[in-house]
Amino acid sequence: MAISTKVTAQRSPGPGRFRPGRGSLAIPPLLFVLVLLLGPIIFIGLFSVGLRSNIPGASVAFTSTNWHDFLFSAGNPFRKRFAYSMEVALAVSILTTIAAFPLAYFLSFVARKHRYTYLLLLLAPFFTSFLLRVIAWQIMLNDNGVVNWLVQAIGLQPHGDPVKWLIYSNFSVGLVLFYSWVPFVALPIFAVLENMDHKLLEAASDLGASRLATFLRVTLPLSLPGVIAGFVFVLIPTTGEFITPLFVGGPNNQLFGNSIQSFFSDSPDWNYGSVLAVTLVAIVLLLMLVFGRYLNTDLRAAPSGGDK
Amino acid sequence: MRATGRFGSAALTLYFWAFVVFLISPLVVLVVFSLNNSTTPSLPLSGFTTKWFHAAFTNGELTGALLRSAEIGVAASVGATLLGIMASIGLTAKKLRLRSFTVALLLLPLVIPYISLAVGLLILLQALGIQTSLAAVVLGHVVITLPFSILVVLPRLRSLDPSMVEAARDLGASDLTAFRLITLPLLGPSLISSFLICFVTSFDEFAIANFLAPSGTPTYPVFLYSSSRTPALLPEVIAVGTLVIAVSLVLVLLAEGGRQWAERRIVGTSKPDFDGAELSNDLAALGRA
Repeated sequence: MAISTKVTAQRSPGPGRFRPGRGSLAIPPLLFVLVLLLGPIIFIGLFSVGLRSNIPGASVAFTSTNWHDFLFSAGNPFRKRFAYSMEVALAVSILTTIAAFPLAYFLSFVARKHRYTYLLLLLAPFFTSFLLRVIAWQIMLNDNGVVNWLVQAIGLQPHGDPVKWLIYSNFSVGLVLFYSWVPFVALPIFAVLENMDHKLLEAASDLGASRLATFLRVTLPLSLPGVIAGFVFVLIPTTGEFITPLFVGGPNNQLFGNSIQSFFSDSPDWNYGSVLAVTLVAIVLLLMLVFGRYLNTDLRAAPSGGDK
Repeated sequence: MRATGRFGSAALTLYFWAFVVFLISPLVVLVVFSLNNSTTPSLPLSGFTTKWFHAAFTNGELTGALLRSAEIGVAASVGATLLGIMASIGLTAKKLRLRSFTVALLLLPLVIPYISLAVGLLILLQALGIQTSLAAVVLGHVVITLPFSILVVLPRLRSLDPSMVEAARDLGASDLTAFRLITLPLLGPSLISSFLICFVTSFDEFAIANFLAPSGTPTYPVFLYSSSRTPALLPEVIAVGTLVIAVSLVLVLLAEGGRQWAERRIVGTSKPDFDGAELSNDLAALGRA
């Protein structure tokens, strides 16, 4: 997702632009995606309005009952779950962006010489299995886990009385999501800071601005595109997240994605589940329409930042 | 003027290193408990052992799931890379009708939530009267990894010198021969990157595999999920997890280093020894993984 708009962004002419391609070669991959990506989406659409059913022999006819129930019935639990999920996604995105900014700032302005090595350090854990890292957090946060042991060992909590909200709570789901995304938010912010014309900082100080004023009136406004990109990097995948709550969330902390998952694994009502699945796709596409243009963080497009 | 004062720099440095500790601690915890002589992963440590590794590799279900995921990963990444080459060549055409539509559609899997795609594929199979199978998992994984392949191969293709292909054609090579003898070798390093990114993504994918892998033949992530409810299995899961993490770190770093080395050899450009910007870009493609 991170560099999703790079393909179009790099169309600018330049030396060695390679253009002898054959347009027809794009047809097989295009057909593949049409059948196996749009096909499934069309089918969940058909299911959501009752035009198809997974129950053999069941009557199929257009009906908006499920949509009506999801969107308008008072106190619909799935609509509540959806609202809760969006709140979690927003909160995680905001906190993650706030935490990532100083990391990017450190890389670009303090680490300078070794900044790419340090960036690697930040990103290294993310070469590794996401599932395994979630399981590691489960091990760390549970009642007999490392964190509870440490808390009791330094006397913050009496022995044999673990901190209950550490696991299967909003805290654990939020923490693991935060953990998973901070490095990826730091990346686009780092990219804009690297691309910034550092002479502007000198100009500001020549004109008498303090460090704080320079930061607030030059650096921060100029870094906003990266900040927004980072924010969207988290918001879109978190909106559809369901694995994290599956491992470290309790019954009350499951997200909208979990509702979809359980409809298709435990309940025979695929039609209702499809309403939820379509809603999720629609929300994500809406977010892309609104924010998509910010998602260009190609570091290579940057003027090579050497002397700053 | 420096952007930060001495105090600011110190605070930021401290913050950064605290964060690195935060990011790495779960991995350290896995490594420590994979070698701990206790059935529960809790402190204090009860002694050193390698028995969990032995136990894990004699557990047929666990090794079976690992092998299955590796096979699916190879099949999916080969498929995605082949389609990725075709799509990239198509996108470098001078004239291409519906270019922006094509690009948008090919990259759409990056944003579609895997859970919606997974249940959609389940419904599609059911509608076509096809049983769920590991082959279906492979097809699903090709869809979600195809954009990664394009994002790695296309920029590389764009950076090639078109006169080399033109020269080959002037010397009488057919399009296919020119591709085989000129373009393909020059793409080589980026193909390895593409293959690895797709493999790592497929190997770790849970949603699609959970719905499309027939019960009795779980992939590794699906096995991880079911075994997380069986505490007795946990130490073995941790042991194998440690190995998986180590192998993936070494593989990706080696491949990235190798790719950059090979690109310098082929093109003969002088680049810094270790091109972090390049790596970060490839990593960013892993964002969804």
